[in-house]
Amino acid sequence: MMKVEATAYGDRKVFSVSAFNRGIATWLQRLPTVWVEGEVTELKRHERWQSVFFTLKDPTDGACLGVSMPRGQFDGLRLELADGDRVHAYGRPELYAARGEFRLRALSLERFGLGDHLAALERLKRQLASEGVFAAERKRALPVWPRKIGLITGNDAAAKRDVLTGIQTRFPPAHVVVAETYVQGPRAAGAVTEALRRLCELPELDVVVVARGGGSFEDLLPFSDERLVRAIATCTVPVVSAVGHEQDTPLCDLAADVRASTPTAAARLVVPDLGELHERLERARGSLGRGARRSLELKVARLGQAHERLGRAPALLVERRRAALEQAAGRLRALSPKATLNRGYAIVRANETIVRSVGAAETGERIDVEVSDGRFGARVE
Amino acid sequence: MSSEPTFESAQRELEQIVQRLESGATELDEAIALWERGEELYRFCLGKLDSAQGKIEQLATRVEAAKP
Repeated sequence: MMKVEATAYGDRKVFSVSAFNRGIATWLQRLPTVWVEGEVTELKRHERWQSVFFTLKDPTDGACLGVSMPRGQFDGLRLELADGDRVHAYGRPELYAARGEFRLRALSLERFGLGDHLAALERLKRQLASEGVFAAERKRALPVWPRKIGLITGNDAAAKRDVLTGIQTRFPPAHVVVAETYVQGPRAAGAVTEALRRLCELPELDVVVVARGGGSFEDLLPFSDERLVRAIATCTVPVVSAVGHEQDTPLCDLAADVRASTPTAAARLVVPDLGELHERLERARGSLGRGARRSLELKVARLGQAHERLGRAPALLVERRRAALEQAAGRLRALSPKATLNRGYAIVRANETIVRSVGAAETGERIDVEVSDGRFGARVE
Repeated sequence: MSSEPTFESAQRELEQIVQRLESGATELDEAIALWERGEELYRFCLGKLDSAQGKIEQLATRVEAAKP
């Protein structure tokens, strides 16, 4: 390592510009090689130069970084870059000591366009889906009346206004805790994840709404960030995602318990309609009174029936006995010899003994003949 | 009271009580007890609706970024 010499003026150590630059440059060399993403602008390439130069610009906030790359390597890649093309540059920071200019010394460069973002997103989506992060069984029902609602939005976003207005119109007693945070750019994913974590620490928090208005594909990318998507899926309370427009499907929409097409729709989902709630309560009370009365009326009716049957019981008993008696008498009558006489038979007696055969009565003997209505005498011939 | 029921659970219980009463299959004592409990739940829910105050508050500090 190069030694950086300072000149001493009394107590003061003073570096020359050159020594200072070399010192910083040496120190920078200790930093690791990394990938940096940005848009290419101001590309300068000259046949006489050893290196090509361009500026990498951050599309979200315009931050710039100078980049140099060995010309041979750059040409070999045949990237044919135009201004605004998105690239990933692999290199390490360096200081151009002669001019004190800080830049990235790129060793490799790759085009990274929308297609690559989409492909990366698709891979992540498949991965999370295979782990069951988006599974329907994981979805939780939203509370009917959340005690506290967490709302994560940008600080002056229309989305925030829409959700708050929607909630307050429908359900004035709602208690909302708003967490304002970045909803765009490289810090958004981390910030939203952190906001979610902090909201969940609040006591009585029953549901969280993540709301962000529409935006470009890149604007919404933070809402497909793996950390955030996992945080939403494992959140301790149900999460409603209202990010982007109907046609956008950031991964957080898939991980959330419910997806709302707009911030206003999210408001409708998280709070009940106060008027409807009142109506439902009054209906239940009406039914309660009716139910109690009906229950009582049923008991009274049943009691009345029992009493009536009880009153009828003795008469019924006598009636039954009488019928049994009649039946017995009938059977008795059927068996009596009288019934036989009624049918035309007669009983013949000689000396009060029933004559059962021809030999039991002699000629000239007096006999008694009994028919149905009496007796008369006769003589055997 | 150790833990107050939520509006939701009170409303659910009220509606279950209504269902049981409407079925007419309850004993008289039970029906009266259910009715009393139902009225109590109704008053609780109504009180909740009438007393609740809307509130919008900000999370204490703006969430700038996640801790690394």
